[in-house]
Amino acid sequence: MTAALTTHDVTLRFGGLVAVDNVNITVNRGEIFAIIGPNGAGKTSLFNVISGIYPASAGKICVENIEPCLQPSMASRLQTAYVALISGLSALVVVNVTAVWQASINELFVFGEPFTWTSALRAMFFTIVAQPLTHTVLPLIIGATIGGLACHSLWYAGRRNTEVCSRSGLARTFQNVRLFPQLSALDNVLIGMHAGFASGFFSSLFRLPAVIREERRAREFALGLLRFVGLEKYSDQIAGSLPYGSQRRLEIARALASKPKVLLLDEPAAGMNPTESAKLMEIIKRIRESADGGSTIILIEHDMKVVMGISDRIAVLDYGSKIADGTPAEIRSNPDVIKAYLGASFAGDTQ
Amino acid sequence: MTDIEVLIQQLLTGLSNGMIIALIALGYTMVFGIIELINFAHGDLFMLGCFAALTALGVSGMVDVEPGGIASIITIAALFIIVPTFCATINWCVDRYAYRPLRNSPKLAPLVSALGVSFIFINIGLFWGGLPLEVFGYGSAAAAPKNFPALLPFDNLLGDSAIFVTWRELLVVLVTIPILAALLYFVKCTATGKALRATAQNPTAARLMGIHVDSVIGITFIIGGALAGVASVVYALTYNTVFFQMGFRVGVDAFTAAVLGGIGNLAGACLGGLLIGLVRALSDQYIATQWTNSVVFGILIVVLIFRPSGLLGSRTREKV
Amino acid sequence: MNPLSKLKSFAPSDLQKIFIILMLPVFIEMIFPSLGACDRFKPILVFAVLGFGLNVVTGYCGLLNLGVAAFMAIGAYTFGILTVSIYPFQIGAWPALLVSCCAGAAAGVALGLPTLRLRGDYLAIVTLGFGEIVQDILRNLEVITKGSQGINPLPRLVVFPNERGLDSPIVSYLVILCIVMFVAWTMRNLERSAVGRAWTAVRDDELAAGCMGVPVVRTKLKAFAFGAALCSLAGALWASGLGSTGEPGNFDFALSILALCIVIVGGLGSVAGVLVGAIIMVGFNSIVLVELSERLGAAGFSGTQNVFASPANWKYFVLGAALIITMRLRPNGLLPSKPSEGGVL
Repeated sequence: MTAALTTHDVTLRFGGLVAVDNVNITVNRGEIFAIIGPNGAGKTSLFNVISGIYPASAGKICVENIEPCLQPSMASRLQTAYVALISGLSALVVVNVTAVWQASINELFVFGEPFTWTSALRAMFFTIVAQPLTHTVLPLIIGATIGGLACHSLWYAGRRNTEVCSRSGLARTFQNVRLFPQLSALDNVLIGMHAGFASGFFSSLFRLPAVIREERRAREFALGLLRFVGLEKYSDQIAGSLPYGSQRRLEIARALASKPKVLLLDEPAAGMNPTESAKLMEIIKRIRESADGGSTIILIEHDMKVVMGISDRIAVLDYGSKIADGTPAEIRSNPDVIKAYLGASFAGDTQ
Repeated sequence: MTDIEVLIQQLLTGLSNGMIIALIALGYTMVFGIIELINFAHGDLFMLGCFAALTALGVSGMVDVEPGGIASIITIAALFIIVPTFCATINWCVDRYAYRPLRNSPKLAPLVSALGVSFIFINIGLFWGGLPLEVFGYGSAAAAPKNFPALLPFDNLLGDSAIFVTWRELLVVLVTIPILAALLYFVKCTATGKALRATAQNPTAARLMGIHVDSVIGITFIIGGALAGVASVVYALTYNTVFFQMGFRVGVDAFTAAVLGGIGNLAGACLGGLLIGLVRALSDQYIATQWTNSVVFGILIVVLIFRPSGLLGSRTREKV
Repeated sequence: MNPLSKLKSFAPSDLQKIFIILMLPVFIEMIFPSLGACDRFKPILVFAVLGFGLNVVTGYCGLLNLGVAAFMAIGAYTFGILTVSIYPFQIGAWPALLVSCCAGAAAGVALGLPTLRLRGDYLAIVTLGFGEIVQDILRNLEVITKGSQGINPLPRLVVFPNERGLDSPIVSYLVILCIVMFVAWTMRNLERSAVGRAWTAVRDDELAAGCMGVPVVRTKLKAFAFGAALCSLAGALWASGLGSTGEPGNFDFALSILALCIVIVGGLGSVAGVLVGAIIMVGFNSIVLVELSERLGAAGFSGTQNVFASPANWKYFVLGAALIITMRLRPNGLLPSKPSEGGVL
């Protein structure tokens, strides 16, 4: 079996607090994997690191053995060099603009007479060369340095963010539902499909036929997803006005819209009544079955009925570190888990 | 004057201007720290303070007092009481009637309101300059800059030295440093200051702990307003000119300082103010006066690229 | 299909009604040419384009841009430099209009790339500062911009050059009206496209949008650049209508706030709202106040004796009050955007 998602010694620190401590998890393809643990054990923090919201303080995360993190490449180096060049040249022009303009335009152009651009360019060049070094070499160097450094540092900061992670095949839902409350249910799903849209800005601007066709296809796909979670009747309703349970299901549909390899569900059953959570379990099971090639699901959940009912394997976190993982049966009988998390009363229930 | 003397002179000028900017920047940063609002009206409040000071002089007839005499010292002391009180009152009223009703609206609503208040202040300044008082030239040219009487002597305190230090620079230092110290003491060491910091971190939790959040915010606005008032007296005494659009320019500088230092951070605002003052002075001297604004802006952009939360600001993480 | 609903689809929408209203000056001009209605109402159209530009950035994408006047200045001066006879470019009014848009977009990208990653509040100060320094730069580069004289004379936008007298006020009004309609059409297209949805998503919840695979910075950059291009277009139209770029001080902060008033009063994120906002704010500012000034001046009350008597001196007050009152009473503007019934705010 191939690993869909692996975390290698992932650590997340907030100042002195260690929220996630050296966590190693391997989730196989097609698995439903649950992460449980007491409140504040670092489950959501782990999700946030995996989905790129927080950068990990240490360790690495791989999706299908590839790290979703831009590596320095020829293209990125060229880009930095290009920005450095452009900003250096602009600094040069900005500093000398008055002299250059005076020499190449004002002095050469006489109204009604022909104007040759070659002579203007020549005048421009010789004017810049004739300037003192503080007006030519200095701005060139300073501009290029600042531009290059800025480009590099911006690239570095955006090396592993939510967008990169999403593109690598991760999609998630949130513990406290984060739909776009002012958009319709259908539009919410369409935003999930955003990365799949091919038409560019200008074709959208003029609404070319290709855009209309693409939009129609996308709409059909999105309606299909809404049908899948049982919300096709509400496709035109504003997401914020849907009942809570439907909002949670809509969030799953939105996450599925990007056709993820790994789906991260953060407490999908929180605040649901037993009927709703049964329906949800049904949906989660169907996601795995319907997805071609097998979609992998990782979920955080407190509802033990849901966890034990659907997950193939479970990992237990406590105080940021993993204390156990295994099948539901193993976890149920693991003494560490019972001691650290489930507590005496639950241990009594299960035995 | 030798090169080194020119440099020292510019550094001194920069520091004293920077302190005035810091006083105003503190008003921005305190309000932002507590309710995440860019109070665009703050710079114009400073301008109204300058007009209030000038009006106070005009009404009391202390226009022609001898600079440095006992009468002028009393006048200055009186200004330092009247104008901050005036500015603090206005700032509190603005918060009460323009911002507080929008406390639960989305972020853009109070921001837009603040822009509106700023423009109303500018208009009030314009009308104020048109009042038929002697100090305003009997209101004949409302928009023109007004002369502020020189209450401080121009003597060089360093005697015959080429470096020029007058009472103006000294006044800035004598007023600003104690006020900053008092402010830091207030915020760090008093119960109200603690309530203020608590509200800044989490208003809901602070309210649950029994802190009256609205009055804490009101106090913030009062302090910010008073600081702007102090700054306006110092500014008017230093530059001796007052006009209705000055608030915008000074406000932009002060706000840039607050952002540069890391908005919401008191020490950052002071550092940013001093830096902006120094950069302005050095750029005036060594580049060109007309390019100074552009230089300051360029530095702001570069700092924000490399330190997105300002020099002393800490990166805030969004709660997920 | 139900015949009644079919009938309903023939009823004019808000947008169509507004365009009918905007046609009125043409008829007035035809009947009473002496009133000069078209020339007086032209600023409404130009500022509507400016409002559209700000609406893309602030209404759709939720970024506060306080430097639209700077982008307008960039458009006006690009148009001026490229068309005026003292410079060798002289590429003609229509191509210059296009190049102005591109110049504005380029400036938008240059300003946006380093700053759009910052938190939203910082963008407000960065754009505000940008608005100031563009004025400074234009003043300082007197060699190019001709300082306070401005670059002139600039050509008008003519459809059929110099034939059959088509250079009348009515034609130039109609030309700009067509441009406004075209821009409104593109805005509606964007609203309904993937780009428009991504803008709304970034506005409502940047973090969730990022997790859904929306490239946040690039999306913002698109809005910023497109908004800047529209502001530049407004600047070019303005310069062409005036025949001069005017002086750099015209593009001051008050102009940016006027644009903000237009968008806020009309309704953030609403195409029809921007037009209504432009009619109200510009109508008041550059028609009612100016008219009142002239009348009062003729009656012997001039602003030089009494500062209150000059209506032009109430400009800041009107703008400020419009913002505060709208925020208090109708935070979503007069015509809130349709797809989200609650409006943006």
